Amino acid sequence: MNGKSQTKDWTFLSSFGNVFSFFFLLGRKSKKTKVFYLLSFIPVVMALLVKFGQIFSIRSTLSGIYVFSNIIMTFYLQFIILILALFFGTSVCSEELEGRTLPYLSTRPISKTSFILGKYAAYTLLIVLMTVVGVFLCFFILNFNQLGDLSLYKILFRDTAVLVLGLICYTSFFTFIGTFIKRSIMFGLIFSFGWENVIQYFPGSTQRFAIVHYLKSLLPTPSSGRFSFLLFRLEPTPPYLAVIMLFLITAVFLGLACFMFHYKEYILEE
Amino acid sequence: MREVIKTEKLSKWYGNILGLSDVTLSIESGITGLLGPNGAGKSTFLKLLTGQLKASIGTVRIEGEKVRNNHRLFSKIGFCPEGDSFYEEMTGWEFVTGLLKLHNCSSSEINSKAQKALSIVNLEKNKDRRIKTYSRGMRQRLKFAQAISHEPEILILDEPLNGMDPLGRRKLIRLIKTFRDEGKTIIVSSHVLPEIEVMTNNIILIHQGKIFAQGDIHYIRDLIDAHPHMISVKCSDPRKVASRFVNQDYILNIDFSGEEDTFVVKTNNRDKFFNRLPSIFIDENIEVSEIKSPDDNLQAVFDYLIGD
Repeated sequence: MNGKSQTKDWTFLSSFGNVFSFFFLLGRKSKKTKVFYLLSFIPVVMALLVKFGQIFSIRSTLSGIYVFSNIIMTFYLQFIILILALFFGTSVCSEELEGRTLPYLSTRPISKTSFILGKYAAYTLLIVLMTVVGVFLCFFILNFNQLGDLSLYKILFRDTAVLVLGLICYTSFFTFIGTFIKRSIMFGLIFSFGWENVIQYFPGSTQRFAIVHYLKSLLPTPSSGRFSFLLFRLEPTPPYLAVIMLFLITAVFLGLACFMFHYKEYILEE
Repeated sequence: MREVIKTEKLSKWYGNILGLSDVTLSIESGITGLLGPNGAGKSTFLKLLTGQLKASIGTVRIEGEKVRNNHRLFSKIGFCPEGDSFYEEMTGWEFVTGLLKLHNCSSSEINSKAQKALSIVNLEKNKDRRIKTYSRGMRQRLKFAQAISHEPEILILDEPLNGMDPLGRRKLIRLIKTFRDEGKTIIVSSHVLPEIEVMTNNIILIHQGKIFAQGDIHYIRDLIDAHPHMISVKCSDPRKVASRFVNQDYILNIDFSGEEDTFVVKTNNRDKFFNRLPSIFIDENIEVSEIKSPDDNLQAVFDYLIGD
């Protein structure tokens, strides 16, 4: 009995790995990845502009790490990771339907669960890499005269970890949405820039219905500054609980995505 | 021959639209041709066989096992879809090896099997080109290569000859016959009777979602041969040729209303007509430009058979 279940696990893991490598290769080559890679560099351009401004302006008082934190909060946390997760997460299922390539996969000896999880993992890794490269570049550009200060690296790694958690969590949600809603991008945009942006500012426990609430709970609340209004009324969840919640949300939506993909019948349009 | 595929009361509706109705049949090893006009339900039937669609009623079993959501069964099945869809950014090699990986093959197996499949379909020279640069015929061959690459026992081919040049068609037909000789089970769909006829005697006729007839192609041929055929003959002296057919009992009608050098014959015995025609051309020293059958297509035959 044990041996049988071990064989089953090995098959699942190897199928997962094979799906992952197939879609990681495909993802790397796709035009979409190239376009979004460029998009993820917008904050880097911003960082360069700010740094040039600082170099050539005598009155500049903002520290590099302060600007970096604000770029993370405004651009990455509330825009870049949402857009990346939305377009890559929904496409786990929808690009197979729209591109009519699903028959190549559904007639292979791989379980539907390993397909969803393998492709999700491949696309999540792709967007994590895109984000991390941009974040590191922003950090080094904005702090290049303070690179010897080791305390800054703690901030870099903390912020990067929060963004990676955000990508993992949002991508799972959008993967689920892509398995059962035809116009998943439209729904995702409303969710990302409507729901997530509004609910997080609601007082009391309502704000806990937004994923961004748990991500912001992992970051310190700035005491002052021009972007602090974005954290207005945040009633943070304790960090350990926020991490648990993010993993729980990821697991639930991935489970639902697998369930939906397993039982739903996808009829490809002629 | 052993029974490989069995369907019982298999039906499929797309909302209110009937895709397939009450199909009970069994398919044995060898080549089975699935023949029907466009929109007859061939693709629906093949998608139900491969578990891509859920049956509204009825069951499909392959080698005694249910198909839908039974992924292990697909190590034995190769499927060539009808649609011209690919991962366009991949090369032919990446496409075939990537899909082979999903069969849990080892790296060396993947390389040798992909090499073999691509060389069978004559794509080894173009394997490193991106799929989006392939011609229609090359894309069709690549689709076939991915279906055979893992050496399946059962091949399900949905209109595999579509878009191929005559030489490519001949090669593919020869290849399909080789698979039959190796004891594999092959189901080939087509809306072109002669394509199926050269591959197998065993056919399933499908029309408007129903299995119209199943069995030996000669039986179907007899039915089809009784269908009045229109034959158009373009030659140097159409009236002289037509006059030689006037009193023949198998000629139902002769029409000169078309082009000046053409006449159209309606006959209920094509073979007799075609047996006699060459000798008339020779006797009368007539120059022939063209002979064609305006309604020699499955839709016309089906319309006739079902009495439309």
